[in-house]
Amino acid sequence: MNRALKRISLAVLAMFLLLLINVNYLQGFDTSSLAAEPFNTRTLTNQVQYQRGPIVTSDGVTIAESKPSGDIFKYQRAYSNGPVYSPVTGYDTLYSQTGIEFAENNLLAGNDNALAIRNFIDMITNKPRKGATVQTTINSKAQNAAYNGLVQKLQGTGRSGGVVAVNPRTGAILAMASYPSYDPNQLATHDGTLLNTRDKALLADPQNPLLDRATHVTFPPGSTFKIITSSTLLSQQPGTNPNTQVASPTTLTLPQTSHILHNDNNTVCGNGGGQAPLITAFAQSCDTTFAKIGMDVGGQALNNMATAFGMNSSSLKIPFSVTPSNYVIPPSLALTAFSAIGQFSDTVTPLQEAMFAAAIANNGTLMKPYLVQQVTASDLSVVQQATPSVLSQPVSASVANEVKQMMTAVVQQPDGTASAFNQASVGVEIAGKTGTAQNGINNTGLNDAVFTAFAPVANPQIAVGVIVGGGGYGASAAAPIAVQVIKAYLGIK
Amino acid sequence: MLIFAVAVVGFAYASVGFGLKGRLPSGMFTYLLAFIVIMALAHLAVRRFAPYADPLLVPVAAMLNGLGVVMTYRLQEAGRDGNPGANVNGHGLFVPMNSSATLIQIFYTAIGVACFVAVLVMFREARTLQRYTYTLGAAGLFLIALPALLPSSISGVPGTGAKIQISLGGFTLQPEEFAKLALAVSFAGYLVAKRDALALAGRRVLGIDLPRGRDLGPILVVWGLSLLLLVFESDIGTSAVFMGMFVAMLYIATSRTSWLLIGFLLFVAGAFTASKLFSHVGARFSAWLHPFTAVNIQNSAFQLVKGLEGMGSGGLLGKGLGSGQPYLTPLVQSDLVFTGFGEELGLTGLMALLLLYALIAQRGLSTALMVKDPFSKLLAGGLSFMFALQVFVIVGGVTRLIPLTGITTPFLSQGGSSLVASWVMIAVLARLSDTARRPPPQPIQEEGLTQVVSLQ
Repeated sequence: MNRALKRISLAVLAMFLLLLINVNYLQGFDTSSLAAEPFNTRTLTNQVQYQRGPIVTSDGVTIAESKPSGDIFKYQRAYSNGPVYSPVTGYDTLYSQTGIEFAENNLLAGNDNALAIRNFIDMITNKPRKGATVQTTINSKAQNAAYNGLVQKLQGTGRSGGVVAVNPRTGAILAMASYPSYDPNQLATHDGTLLNTRDKALLADPQNPLLDRATHVTFPPGSTFKIITSSTLLSQQPGTNPNTQVASPTTLTLPQTSHILHNDNNTVCGNGGGQAPLITAFAQSCDTTFAKIGMDVGGQALNNMATAFGMNSSSLKIPFSVTPSNYVIPPSLALTAFSAIGQFSDTVTPLQEAMFAAAIANNGTLMKPYLVQQVTASDLSVVQQATPSVLSQPVSASVANEVKQMMTAVVQQPDGTASAFNQASVGVEIAGKTGTAQNGINNTGLNDAVFTAFAPVANPQIAVGVIVGGGGYGASAAAPIAVQVIKAYLGIK
Repeated sequence: MLIFAVAVVGFAYASVGFGLKGRLPSGMFTYLLAFIVIMALAHLAVRRFAPYADPLLVPVAAMLNGLGVVMTYRLQEAGRDGNPGANVNGHGLFVPMNSSATLIQIFYTAIGVACFVAVLVMFREARTLQRYTYTLGAAGLFLIALPALLPSSISGVPGTGAKIQISLGGFTLQPEEFAKLALAVSFAGYLVAKRDALALAGRRVLGIDLPRGRDLGPILVVWGLSLLLLVFESDIGTSAVFMGMFVAMLYIATSRTSWLLIGFLLFVAGAFTASKLFSHVGARFSAWLHPFTAVNIQNSAFQLVKGLEGMGSGGLLGKGLGSGQPYLTPLVQSDLVFTGFGEELGLTGLMALLLLYALIAQRGLSTALMVKDPFSKLLAGGLSFMFALQVFVIVGGVTRLIPLTGITTPFLSQGGSSLVASWVMIAVLARLSDTARRPPPQPIQEEGLTQVVSLQ
């Protein structure tokens, strides 16, 4: 009997060894693959077991924060003024994030490597782990002005638009608004079924409110592209300056076509003598002048300049990536003419529009746009600090100064397209360029209103790009929003 | 040793309080005091009635029992008084526990220890149990059959197809827990009486010694009957434990490997047939082999996967008692309690628990080796193996080593029957080890000496 008992004992030993090996495998080696299982509720809830860090504006307004929730997800994400800030914050759902919530997820959640030592100290001192605070570069006044401006122009129209403002000296993004917008609070629910319903409703909305028009949708730049065309001309031909007489015909027959290009409403450019100073043609936004300049400098040169201003780049991250603005080298001279006045296949985001003005305002140096000013751990120590960096130098300081003169003329000269917003009426000297981009098949759609501007001219502090889809004239639909943003930021009543 | 075990339980209890609320649990001292008194009584009973009993059995059982109480408290508090675990939006504890669940569990502990003491007092010699071979056999069969005969409103387990309990007035009893013990004793008695016949008489077929039909008959009848009843009651885990125990005891009694072979073949054939015949058995196999497929994860493998994910989130050191989310796992208070410990105590805690279980099994088996009379040997070996097998079936099940079948985890699961039955088993092992370790009576030296008187 003892022999059999010993064998049974061995069997018992083997059973326990198997169990021990199996739990070692499960809890020692298999943990990460178990955590990655799609329906793992614990992984989902773990995201919200710690207090996620808040997102604040540069002037200290909290736009996203996690509050104690009382359910198994200990904290509930809450967005204040959600629709206003949604292009900045993005959303944080149970399953995915966008915007800053996505780009800075590890820091906000508190599991970034940069926070490892602090987390360890918190663990030892028995303090609850908290995510880091992300301070954006957004100015709440400029942001509100931008969003409200879009609402005024677009509410009830079924059309969309975006506004971006940057600090031309640093590249810090001061405002980033999109319309139509959505409330990220809707998607922050912990109820999976409700989340699914809301998500489907947002996706099914024909206006597509989830789409960020500030950085993720491109529009034709229209006449604002004349900044690029002028910069190309002034850089390519050192003899030229804003007072150089350029051909300004009332009509221009495009080569190898029967298409006759004429100015908006068939207006006459300059004094109608066929010649006008470049600055006048720019201020009056003469299409014939710049179409001809475009053909003179060539598609390749325009492409180089557009690229130097930040277009054709898919690598820009602010910290999340943005949709590239594109200039396509036209296959024919006639299309080059169109491309020089912001038609053909030219596409830009409102961010790109702001970058046009910013580069000129900053003496030809384009600063890399960024959205995160600084990240502070829960103990208020600084984890990350933004350092402004140069993205490119599209034009020399002297060319930038000449373009600056011309953009100033657009707003300050009585014959300028945006003269309604001169210093006397606004209270600050603004320089800018309007754009009214034709749209649709055979240009039957509503024109997109575009405006890019910076202010004050003597000491530029803000550069704004505004695109109002289907808004009509840039001066009447887009410029007022830019002016509102500039006034709000500079504190002008 | 017992003081150490109680201290561990006390620390675990305090840990739950800190994990949940950041302070000591409110009723801690009452619960702990009750636990200490109960365990002190168990200790005194062993000192008085079985002084030579294995000194490890009671402390190890006390520690497991105490941790079970602590886990019950931890789960009882989930979702209550602002603790995480509320059933919000379909998340949370699947079966919210009664707010007095801990008290009830301590009450069951008291009953368990009372039965432990009663067994020690009533049976001063383990061999006396042999008298009840047929009585206990009949009693065991009756206990197993009872739930099947009763209407499912009384015997059905809510939410499962199993009919294994007797539910009256809010209290439930699982008779099979006691039937296991009764049948173990009965089998030991029967096999001791018939073991020579079983081992020696018989024909040799294909190199295997087959026993005579008339010796085999009663065993097969009891075995088949119990299995049929278990299948009828949809309780595969317990039937596996029964089978394992019977085969092991036959092997110990006869030392004939043929029994292992026959047992194994019968088991495989039975399991295969069952998986084909009964859809719920087939689903268990599918859940075991492919738990993460989209269909299984939401259905048959749901609790298994939730338990695995819980253990995964525990990792090496665990989340800490009160800090994990065991309430996300269905049945974590009973069948899947082991995964709850895995989540909150981690790999470290699970290894310790497994070693505690292994320790009980090992003490039982070494008692079986030491004890002299064959009945005690067989009983100790059978009980130890059954205990180890039960741990293997449920722990292996929840850790996906084998298909998951719902049986209780000895001492840890919430519920009275299993706890009381486990304590009775510890009492029998303590009695057997007392017999085994008792020093032989000392011959009286003076008796045979003749006094020499010198006369002057």
